[in-house]
Amino acid sequence: MLQIEHLTKKFGEKVAVDDLSLHIAPGEVYGFIGHNGAGKTTTLRSVVGIQQFDAGRIKIDGISLQDDPMACKRRLAYIPDNPDLYDFMTGIKYLNFVADVFGVSAADRQERIHKYGDLFELTDDLAQPISTYSHGMKQKLAVISAWLHQPRLILMDEPFVGLDPKASHILKGMMREFCDGGGAIFFSTHVLEVAEKLCDKVAIIRHGKLIRSGTMEEVKGDDSLEEVFLELEDEESC
Amino acid sequence: MLKLLIRKQMMEIFRSYFYNAKKNTARSKASTILMFLFFGALMTFLAVGMFGALSFSLSSMIDAGFAWFYFALMGLIALLLGAFGAIFSTYTGLYLAKDNDLLLAMPISIHAIMTSRLLSVYLMGLMYSAVVTIPAVVIYFFHVPFTVSRLICALLWILLVSLIVMVLSCLLGYAVARLSLKIKRKSLVTTVLALVGIGLYYFLYFRAIDLVQDMLVNVAIYGEKIKGAAYGLYLFGQSATGDWLALAIVAAVVLAACIVTWLVLQRSFLKVATATGAVAQVKYTERTARQQSISSALLKKELARFTSSSNYMLNCGLGVLLMLLAGVMLLIKGQALVPVLSMLLADRPGAVAALACAVVCMAVASNDMAAPSVALEGKNLWIAKSLPVTSWQVLRAKLDLQLLLTVVPTLFLCVCLAVTLPLSAVERVFVFLLPLIFMVFSACLGLVMGLQNPNLLWTNEIYPIKQSLGVTVALLGGWAYAAALGGVYVWVGWKLGAVIYLGIFSIATLIIAGLLYLWLKKRGAAAFEAL
Repeated sequence: MLQIEHLTKKFGEKVAVDDLSLHIAPGEVYGFIGHNGAGKTTTLRSVVGIQQFDAGRIKIDGISLQDDPMACKRRLAYIPDNPDLYDFMTGIKYLNFVADVFGVSAADRQERIHKYGDLFELTDDLAQPISTYSHGMKQKLAVISAWLHQPRLILMDEPFVGLDPKASHILKGMMREFCDGGGAIFFSTHVLEVAEKLCDKVAIIRHGKLIRSGTMEEVKGDDSLEEVFLELEDEESC
Repeated sequence: MLKLLIRKQMMEIFRSYFYNAKKNTARSKASTILMFLFFGALMTFLAVGMFGALSFSLSSMIDAGFAWFYFALMGLIALLLGAFGAIFSTYTGLYLAKDNDLLLAMPISIHAIMTSRLLSVYLMGLMYSAVVTIPAVVIYFFHVPFTVSRLICALLWILLVSLIVMVLSCLLGYAVARLSLKIKRKSLVTTVLALVGIGLYYFLYFRAIDLVQDMLVNVAIYGEKIKGAAYGLYLFGQSATGDWLALAIVAAVVLAACIVTWLVLQRSFLKVATATGAVAQVKYTERTARQQSISSALLKKELARFTSSSNYMLNCGLGVLLMLLAGVMLLIKGQALVPVLSMLLADRPGAVAALACAVVCMAVASNDMAAPSVALEGKNLWIAKSLPVTSWQVLRAKLDLQLLLTVVPTLFLCVCLAVTLPLSAVERVFVFLLPLIFMVFSACLGLVMGLQNPNLLWTNEIYPIKQSLGVTVALLGGWAYAAALGGVYVWVGWKLGAVIYLGIFSIATLIIAGLLYLWLKKRGAAAFEAL
């Protein structure tokens, strides 16, 4: 579903992502963990096409991002670390805007908005301007907009930040259901317990370099993900 | 701490002068100096071109011994322009900055935050008032012998006018803030209020033209009357002429007003800046939305952005109102204007057509919503970039918004001109054709300028809307074009005849507009992707 080959991104002298390669198959919930500034967001933004990169290739569903970015973007959805949505729109207008761009039919969007709006208890607030939303409400709206057009791949940067426990629980269920239906999710998180329970595979990045990746069992063995992560951090810093 | 905050505020205002957002690097010193020189040249053009000419036309008052009257009039114009120009930006600048929460949560005194914000307000007021007061002082010294005492007084008068502008805009901004806490549809009410203000402004302006002409003829009578009835106004004007006592009195009053304003703002700043205000509670009722095309969705999004902000509408969409008002005025008073124009331009055949085109172009140039639209994406830029839309589709929606909002009032004004003015059939065609071509040129120019180093990291939308170099160049560049169109015709262009002259302008404008359009489609789209 997602192939990242030798991705490299530099900001001036600083190498943010260094020759990173990852493959994510349909049906996989793939966790991406690393310290602050490790290169997680840069990688995700590169895959979405927001960030231009210096070297490497990215393919989504077999389509090269460089050759046909529109086809790639039609297959994916992205939720950034900070849900800065159009404050000047109401929630429903934003969802309709996204649906229009992705060509979601009127009947489909109505059904999905109803379903996910109710699930996140956001339906009543959809007529309110986004500027009046709390961080959590914006995050819920971003999640609904991501699921609205039924993408093949969802990329999420710290998706649980700002969500209340119930919404987090619902999102985890949605993620699992989405991947069981043949989709793939690539998301970054600092909550290692969530990653451990939710992810089929995990990748650990440090200073832009991929230092370990594979199935959860391959990466952590008998230890907890937290122990492995901290151990790797210590090894690398030595 | 105050120094730090002021530095931050200045960095925000002048960011594009020191930082190249496209290259993500600091500008070289030479580039920064060039940017400042360019801005200085634009402001000088505005000061000399508009208010220098006005000062010159009023300067007979100085020769008649009524220099105070001259300064009082120029000062009032500066106050009107400054306070009016800064009122809404004062409201947003003082109270709605996005970093309010961040700064208020830090151990920083409210005084320091307020002072740093007020500095921005002051600079804005100074910019508006100085384009009137500086030419007024320069023209004054062409008519009176130079003395150091006069110069110091005149300079202090410029300073005092800018302080009065700050006081007025702060108090008006405060009133708008209090009002906005009570009303639910803020941008709509603010815009309506502003439009009423603008209507009043133009009403007074047109009345003032007649009044000023009358005053120039009867300066002694009016001078004595005003001196008797409004002594404060006399002192205000007199303070610029080297009268130290008048200056001291005016300075004392202005300083007192500054202190009162400070106290008013200081008492309420925290409450107003942190208030959420009234929010209309609208419950969502499910209904089937009509599916729209991508271009339509993007255009609607641009329209929603435009109508959500009174700052955006008032600063970048004033041309809509200007053209409608001008058209109505023409229909009402056009017949009285025709003989005057015919008499004034008797030795310049075809000048009526050229000037008509110039007037429409100037009004069209007042619509510049495309110029700040890229910077206004701000932190939302990720949405446009992550959606399956091309950069050109995004840019095209920005262009379309300006064209759609401009085309109807432009056509209305053109129809009014064509109906009212004595024009030949071919001239009538050009009165429609040239402004429409210019409309496309103006929108493209605005967007091209907006793509040059847009400040996406603003903490207050007023910076990209009002204080960015791109907006200034797009607006003044459009006005300069219109001035050149009319001015060159009256100067030498009439020798070619209106049809050939306007034909040349139309073709040249069309070619430049076409080039700008092509640039936007290829390089502009690439520049947007690189943001």
